[in-house]
Amino acid sequence: MKLLTRTSINYIFFSVIAFLVGGVIFYHVVRSIFYRQIDETLRMEKILIEEQIDFSDTLPDFRQVFSHMIEVTVFNTPKKKFEFIKDTMLYDKSGNRLIPVRQLICENTSIQDQGYIISISKPLSETTQLITTIVGALVMLFVFLMGLLIFLNYFISKSIWGPFNKTLESLRNFDIKKAQDLVLKESGISEFRQLNKALDRMARKLRRDYMNLKEFNENASHEIQTPLAIIKSKLELLIQGEKLTRSQLEMINSVYEAATRMSKLNQGLLLISKIDNNQFDATEKVNLQELVEKYLEHFEEITDMKHIRIIRNYHAPAITEMNSTLSEILVSNLLSNSIRHNVEGGEITISMDANGFQISNTGHLLSIPPEELFRRFRKSERTSDSVGLGLAIVRKIAHFYQFEITYEVNENIHTIRLMIIPRKTAS
Amino acid sequence: MKILLIEDEKELSSTIQSYLTRGNYLCETALTYDSALEKINLYIYDCVIVDITLPDGSGLDIIKELKKEHPKTGIIIISAKNSLDDKIVGLDIGADDYLTKPFHLSELNARVKSIIRRRHFDGTNVIVLNEMRIVPDQMQVFINENEIQLTKKEFDLLMYFLSNKNRVLTREAIAEHLWGEEIDMADSYDFIYTHIKNLRKKMVENNGHDYIHTIYGIGYKFLTT
Repeated sequence: MKLLTRTSINYIFFSVIAFLVGGVIFYHVVRSIFYRQIDETLRMEKILIEEQIDFSDTLPDFRQVFSHMIEVTVFNTPKKKFEFIKDTMLYDKSGNRLIPVRQLICENTSIQDQGYIISISKPLSETTQLITTIVGALVMLFVFLMGLLIFLNYFISKSIWGPFNKTLESLRNFDIKKAQDLVLKESGISEFRQLNKALDRMARKLRRDYMNLKEFNENASHEIQTPLAIIKSKLELLIQGEKLTRSQLEMINSVYEAATRMSKLNQGLLLISKIDNNQFDATEKVNLQELVEKYLEHFEEITDMKHIRIIRNYHAPAITEMNSTLSEILVSNLLSNSIRHNVEGGEITISMDANGFQISNTGHLLSIPPEELFRRFRKSERTSDSVGLGLAIVRKIAHFYQFEITYEVNENIHTIRLMIIPRKTAS
Repeated sequence: MKILLIEDEKELSSTIQSYLTRGNYLCETALTYDSALEKINLYIYDCVIVDITLPDGSGLDIIKELKKEHPKTGIIIISAKNSLDDKIVGLDIGADDYLTKPFHLSELNARVKSIIRRRHFDGTNVIVLNEMRIVPDQMQVFINENEIQLTKKEFDLLMYFLSNKNRVLTREAIAEHLWGEEIDMADSYDFIYTHIKNLRKKMVENNGHDYIHTIYGIGYKFLTT
């Protein structure tokens, strides 16, 4: 949710609550003011009537005097003196319906020592109408004010957060590999200025560290490969000697193999760190089906010799945008993995559609959980002479392009599935 | 055949030099950028092997200079930096081949041979060895004038042996030559064994000489003497 939307929603939410509570209170206050006034009028009229009765000692015709509905009932027996006011409904003859009224009832003893009850009613419809009008006007005023405030708040916030959004935009476009510095717009607000300053410092440091790391990696590669090259070439020269004994040759071979492994290890680790450092950013359209076919042909003698049957299950070629070197490493690692861990007379099944492909191969039971094989230097015991980086590199490449990669083992069938379009987003 | 090796690492330089010299090449060495420039301006070489990272300059500049002065000279880049950029730039400005350190000397030797062959015979050369006649560009092999059918890998293997006659080739060097560097097959030695067995069989069946000898624990040797 955007910051502006969030503040606006909060604003509206709390305004509506304040309005509802305030509205209820306001309504009750207005109502009680009106009622107090009505009650006062009722009492005044009652006093007038009582005075009239006291004065004349007869029952006057009040209907002439007051416009309200007034009834005076005379009793023979004296009455207790009391008085109360209540809301009730009365039948209105003219309108032929029940109307809400405020009614004062009082009992008294006065007329020729006889008791009487005065009941004065005042219709409430006018008052209710008045209250409704007042509250309505207030609601309208409030809605107008709230709209105005939200509108103002939106635009003020927008202009205040403008520099922040600019900063965000340039952060998003910041690429550590490109020489271009982080360009941040000057802001008049000191917090944003501080933020920009901190970000600028961080970006500079990041770039410096990145460059150092990159340099270190390249230097390390150079410095390690050169002595390795010397070792290997000297050994190669050494084995040309005619007078070497068997055990000497064996020893030389062990050293030679160890040096080769070390250089492969070094290259593998460097490759992983290069992918980590996003050093493969040139991409092109890659047809994975063509690539799989290319490497199947490349490994043909090996699969033939191991009597491995290749089953192709192509529905549609998987085509994606990626670095061509990485795509070759990805496919060749997956295929050589499925060949190396295969059994004599086994099978490799390759299924492909536009969303990705999967390679299943017959193999041995695993001594470790399948997902573990994606970790560096994890390998099954049977092939202890491999470096153990192949699948780690595959996973690194897959993650780099946000491909989904899984490893499943079902009895002796190993399946690696690579989705170039993750299933979640694929329809 | 004259070869210039431009490599700043003295040990590596002398090793490569002695390996190449055994193949009847005249191999000169230059340890610095300046001495390399001096040499290519004074003499004409058939092939120049150049390390890109030199202490006093870039091997890429030497290649540019060489292309200007002697465009017919073959150029092989050897670099410890397995960086794609260098490779693309190097091949772009006219290098013929690119090898990443560490490499097998036999591989370097084979590449040098192949470049010299390409440069000198414009691809129409024929290799003759006793009863064998090979037309590399047609991938044809004749033994006693009978053509023998070889698979692509068997042919590559034979060419690799011919480039490195009378030398011990390690199984690793052969595996990398046939399947590329990315191959890390635990049992690729078995495949080499099978390939060599088939190649020998095809040669011997046509009354050819059995040139390939096994060097126990290390690899193979193509003996012509």
